[in-house]
Amino acid sequence: MTQAAIELAGLKKRFGDNEIIRGVDLAVREHERHALIGPNGAGKSTLFHLISGLYTPSAGDILLNGRSIGGLPPHLITRRGLSRSFQITTIFPRLSVQENLRIAAMSKHGRRYALFSLARNAKEVNRDTDQLMELVRLSHVRDKFAGDLTYSEQRALEIGMAMGPGADVILLDEPMAGMSREETHYMIDLIRNVTVGKTLLVVEHDMEVVFSLCDRISVLVYGELIATGRPDDIRSNARVQEAYLGEVVA
Amino acid sequence: MLRLITLALVGAVLIAAPLFLEPHSIGVLTTALIAALFAMAFNLLSGRAGMLSFGHAAYFAIGGFAVIHTMQAVESGAIWLPTPLVPLMGGVAGLIGGLGAGFFATRRSGVYFSMVTLALAEMLHALAPNLGGFFGGEVGLTSMRMPWLAFDYGSENQVYFTVLAWTVFGIALLYAYNQTLFGRLTVGLRESERRISFLGYNAHHTKIIVFGVSAMFSGIAGGLLAFATESMNYSMLGMGMSASVVLHTFVGGSTVFLGPALGALIFALFGSLVSDLTKNWLLYQGILFVLIMMFMGDGLAMLWIRIVNECRSRNWDALRQRVLLLIPGLLITVGAITILEVTSKILDQQQYATSVARMNAWPPVSVFGVSWDPTSALTWLLPLVAILVGIGFVYLILARKMQQRTGTIIMSREPAR
Repeated sequence: MTQAAIELAGLKKRFGDNEIIRGVDLAVREHERHALIGPNGAGKSTLFHLISGLYTPSAGDILLNGRSIGGLPPHLITRRGLSRSFQITTIFPRLSVQENLRIAAMSKHGRRYALFSLARNAKEVNRDTDQLMELVRLSHVRDKFAGDLTYSEQRALEIGMAMGPGADVILLDEPMAGMSREETHYMIDLIRNVTVGKTLLVVEHDMEVVFSLCDRISVLVYGELIATGRPDDIRSNARVQEAYLGEVVA
Repeated sequence: MLRLITLALVGAVLIAAPLFLEPHSIGVLTTALIAALFAMAFNLLSGRAGMLSFGHAAYFAIGGFAVIHTMQAVESGAIWLPTPLVPLMGGVAGLIGGLGAGFFATRRSGVYFSMVTLALAEMLHALAPNLGGFFGGEVGLTSMRMPWLAFDYGSENQVYFTVLAWTVFGIALLYAYNQTLFGRLTVGLRESERRISFLGYNAHHTKIIVFGVSAMFSGIAGGLLAFATESMNYSMLGMGMSASVVLHTFVGGSTVFLGPALGALIFALFGSLVSDLTKNWLLYQGILFVLIMMFMGDGLAMLWIRIVNECRSRNWDALRQRVLLLIPGLLITVGAITILEVTSKILDQQQYATSVARMNAWPPVSVFGVSWDPTSALTWLLPLVAILVGIGFVYLILARKMQQRTGTIIMSREPAR
């Protein structure tokens, strides 16, 4: 068996007396597309925040490619090869699409304190920026302010930003939220493209997306994982149906 | 192209200024240039990185004191440094001070950041009189500029050109900074610090560096002031200095690169000109600031850009409107100034009260070369009518604009899908 890209071991998170994540064990395999689903308030976003370093775990550990990242700040986790998108679009609204993606691409080349390199002369960075822009199909709005893009373009940019640092493990937090059917299909295709050869963990409410995009699915209910498996297994799992899918799919 | 021509023109005027200005005015222009560099340095932090510092006087003054000490050392022969390079020490001191203070201040964002910078500056301001060795106590420190090569630095003009060279050099470096990869990252900090962190950047370290660079250029500006005035006093650390740089930056416009410099130049020159005319000049400066913030929130540089764009696109309607607005603007201004000046003159305890007591009457006062009798209703009604008529005009002009605008929106609306 190959090593897990992300491994959660007895992960817990408390806020005061509230235990939101109550001991989660999960292994996301390398190069798989893995969905995290569950009813509202199950703790999916909290789990994402824990893995990406926004929150520190109360107990348990998080391993990225076998190394512990539990409690590390976000920027160090990103440098270790895990980056994420946000449910609430987190881009640079008053910068052009190109400037947005360039800042993302700079990180991949470790140009974090490049005080003495002119941006326009940074060849590799600019080349990667253009590649990213094509990857998320935003070349036609290259010089537009990110804040002036349509909502679905902004969501595509959000994914581009997550891809920028060149991480192998990508976390996407509800990439399809608020999209029309058409846009959703477009986005599934786009996500499939950009995550080739990467490991993807995605939180998504849209079951059609989850079943068509992902290799495996984990179901989180009240801070506990109640099932992990292939889409068909999850569909037929009695506990999952009772807790969550019953009302949606049946 | 137009930008280059404008810059060349401004440059030519600044270089030729000593030909047509008297020494006193050159002194005013020198301080204006220093204020311009200070505002540009401040805006790197405030406008580009989105961190509003309320205590930037600290780094300005630290630079100033470093330079005074350097000048004293050069004067006594303890060290050797060519006089025109002395302001550099202000930059070094500003950088060190900024990195240190930035380490603490940038741990917080938004209002909390502003409060920490304010607190740090006020702390230094309160401590300074007791640290006489470095800050020279209540009286401050003085020094002399030493001659260098053929320059004796005794004339206003030699000082002016040195300051001009440093200001241009500093602004050019700030421009270059904005073109670097780190300069781009700096703007990202303003837009979304969270995104910066999750892209793998250490946001705190990044902010410390930006703070340091901004403080470094502020220190050079402070150093230039010490260089130009040959003195430094702890009052430079005060809130007034920190507030004025915020004022300059926002009046000029923090979203345009040269906006802060424009704001600083305009306010410095405004202060110098108007303070010769009336002792209420600070009041007028305040009113001007409030009006600019209310009606042109993005500053005078943005106003300039809009006008240029309107000329380019031959938007005569918009331009005519601006010219039309000048007429009521003038009415309101003259009316308001008349009322303010008459009021302030009759409220003047020392002069006016004694003449009232002596003559047992309210003598007329002179404003705009016209004699105004404070007991006559006309004195108050005439300016008031001017103001009201002016406001009425503005209302009419803007109402028409509103009408036209809604008209065009309806015409250009796309068919509903």
